[in-house]
Amino acid sequence: MTPRLGWAFHAFHLAVLRAASNLVPTRRRREWMREWQSELWHVRRERAPAPATSWRAEREITAFCLGAFRDALYLRQEHERPETTHGSAWGSPAHCIFGLSGVICAAFAFALLAPGVRAVNNAPRFTIASGLILIHRERSDGDLTDTVTMQDFRRWSAHSQRSFDDFAFYSIVRERVWPGSPAETEWSVAHASANLFPLLGVPLRFASPPDPRAAPAPLAILSCEAFEREFGGHPLSAASTLRIGQVDARIAGVAPCGAWALPGNVDAWLLEPGSALADGAAGYVVAHLSPRGQAEMDGPRVAIADGGRDSDDSFIGDRIQCQARGPWDIYLFTVLLALLALPAVTSVTMGETSFSSHKPSFSRQLYRWAFLAAKMALLLPIAWCVPVDLAYSAAASSSVGAQYAQLVSTFSICLLGMRWILLDQRQRCPVCLRRVCNPARVGDASRTFLGWNGTEMICLGGHTLLHVPGLPTSWFATQRWLYLDRSWEFLFAGSSEG
Amino acid sequence: MAPDAKLSHTAAMILQAINAGFIYGFSIMEMTGLPSGTVYPAMRRLERDALIVSRWERQSIADAEQRPPRKYYRLTAAGRTTLEASRRRYPLLDRLIPSGETREEARQA
Repeated sequence: MTPRLGWAFHAFHLAVLRAASNLVPTRRRREWMREWQSELWHVRRERAPAPATSWRAEREITAFCLGAFRDALYLRQEHERPETTHGSAWGSPAHCIFGLSGVICAAFAFALLAPGVRAVNNAPRFTIASGLILIHRERSDGDLTDTVTMQDFRRWSAHSQRSFDDFAFYSIVRERVWPGSPAETEWSVAHASANLFPLLGVPLRFASPPDPRAAPAPLAILSCEAFEREFGGHPLSAASTLRIGQVDARIAGVAPCGAWALPGNVDAWLLEPGSALADGAAGYVVAHLSPRGQAEMDGPRVAIADGGRDSDDSFIGDRIQCQARGPWDIYLFTVLLALLALPAVTSVTMGETSFSSHKPSFSRQLYRWAFLAAKMALLLPIAWCVPVDLAYSAAASSSVGAQYAQLVSTFSICLLGMRWILLDQRQRCPVCLRRVCNPARVGDASRTFLGWNGTEMICLGGHTLLHVPGLPTSWFATQRWLYLDRSWEFLFAGSSEG
Repeated sequence: MAPDAKLSHTAAMILQAINAGFIYGFSIMEMTGLPSGTVYPAMRRLERDALIVSRWERQSIADAEQRPPRKYYRLTAAGRTTLEASRRRYPLLDRLIPSGETREEARQA
């Protein structure tokens, strides 16, 4: 064999080693390559000294180099082994808490991006003021229509009343609106007396105080839906002006989503002094009962006698209640419902005994209960964020469909989540809180007279064995823990302490 | 690894070879007759279990002999204890690879 061929073989062997080195973890590759190159140099000197090289020697050297692949493969497997033992961390308490926190973060991040969800989360929590009634003319068909005239409203407001201490009026008309852009659109606008929102007790979002230097202008309140639709929910646009019909109005705020519990779908409220409202307008009157009026009104509806009017028409007052439940109310109600339904889907007790008298220390038991409480605490924000994301990302909070979607998804998440939490807790080693694993069938269902049958699982930390009966009997009805003593340690060599 | 851990025959041979003075990979291959794909991974395992340790030869020594430096292996205290246990388990180990003392005893006999 010529020296040139010898060099070609040497280059080939180096290429083999380099190819094998790609399997070696990066951290160890340099030293591994250095060792094999050094060994190759010595092997070549022993087997094929330069003038006496032969095919046989080159074959032996090639076989030596091919062994590098097995060595590299071993190091690769060894490198990945920590992840396998990490697999035992798969069921660790930290892993569980981390997973639940991840769900919360993902749902929260989505809530920040979706405008509908953002509006729901930013909406102030409020309840409509008590002692309010809606006054309308009595009709034979029982429908609510805008039948109270402006004259009636002015007359009631002008005289002190025995049963009422304040009145507000609104009348809904379709108006052409220029919401900041040249293109006009048509909205349902409620021309209302200026005290409507203070009387209802509804706080405004993005409320802006009037500029003392600017000329006084009518104020407009936007509905949550119109604000999102026309202005994209941008807070800065809340202080801009809006042309409604022939009036330039300053946007004084945005009504909270789902705040409007009175008749009529409204895109905006144009707040005007009582004297500026059109005489012939017909609408609704909201009245606040005086303490005496509240004492006298004991039902949801009351007949109102109008002493200053000669006609036979009579008025009816309906108590105003917040019909539409906000997302927060739905959430609280559904969580409570899921808690009540939980015993129907799983046992709420830990329902476990021990084969021995050994008990974990008090601190371990405390840690175990704290872990259960932490999981429950993390479930609550998940049961808020995820259903709100699902229900309100594409629909307004006042949408009945979205509210049903929130109710169903919150209930499902709460119920299934709490069930999973309890099942998960039952399968966690009382000593290290790691999930038991490696389930093995034990016994035979047809031979339960002297033995038991069921599933046996083991704690990878070597602390316990869990026996779950497959067929609960009077003497083996619930799962049992077997605490392992030191004689079991040889099985768990290398496992970390919990 | 526990000092009395049970080693495979291959690992015991490699320990014995290192103890006998064959302290780098190729010499162990030569001594035991095992292929490189068996010897090197086995040495990695033994090193991981702290039965042997490795060190690089000083560059100056290698330069003086005009060759690349080698990686040498030696037994740890745990490795020696494990080797003693393995010798009891594999009585022929000492005959397959005579240790330094055994070779000396044989020469004197």
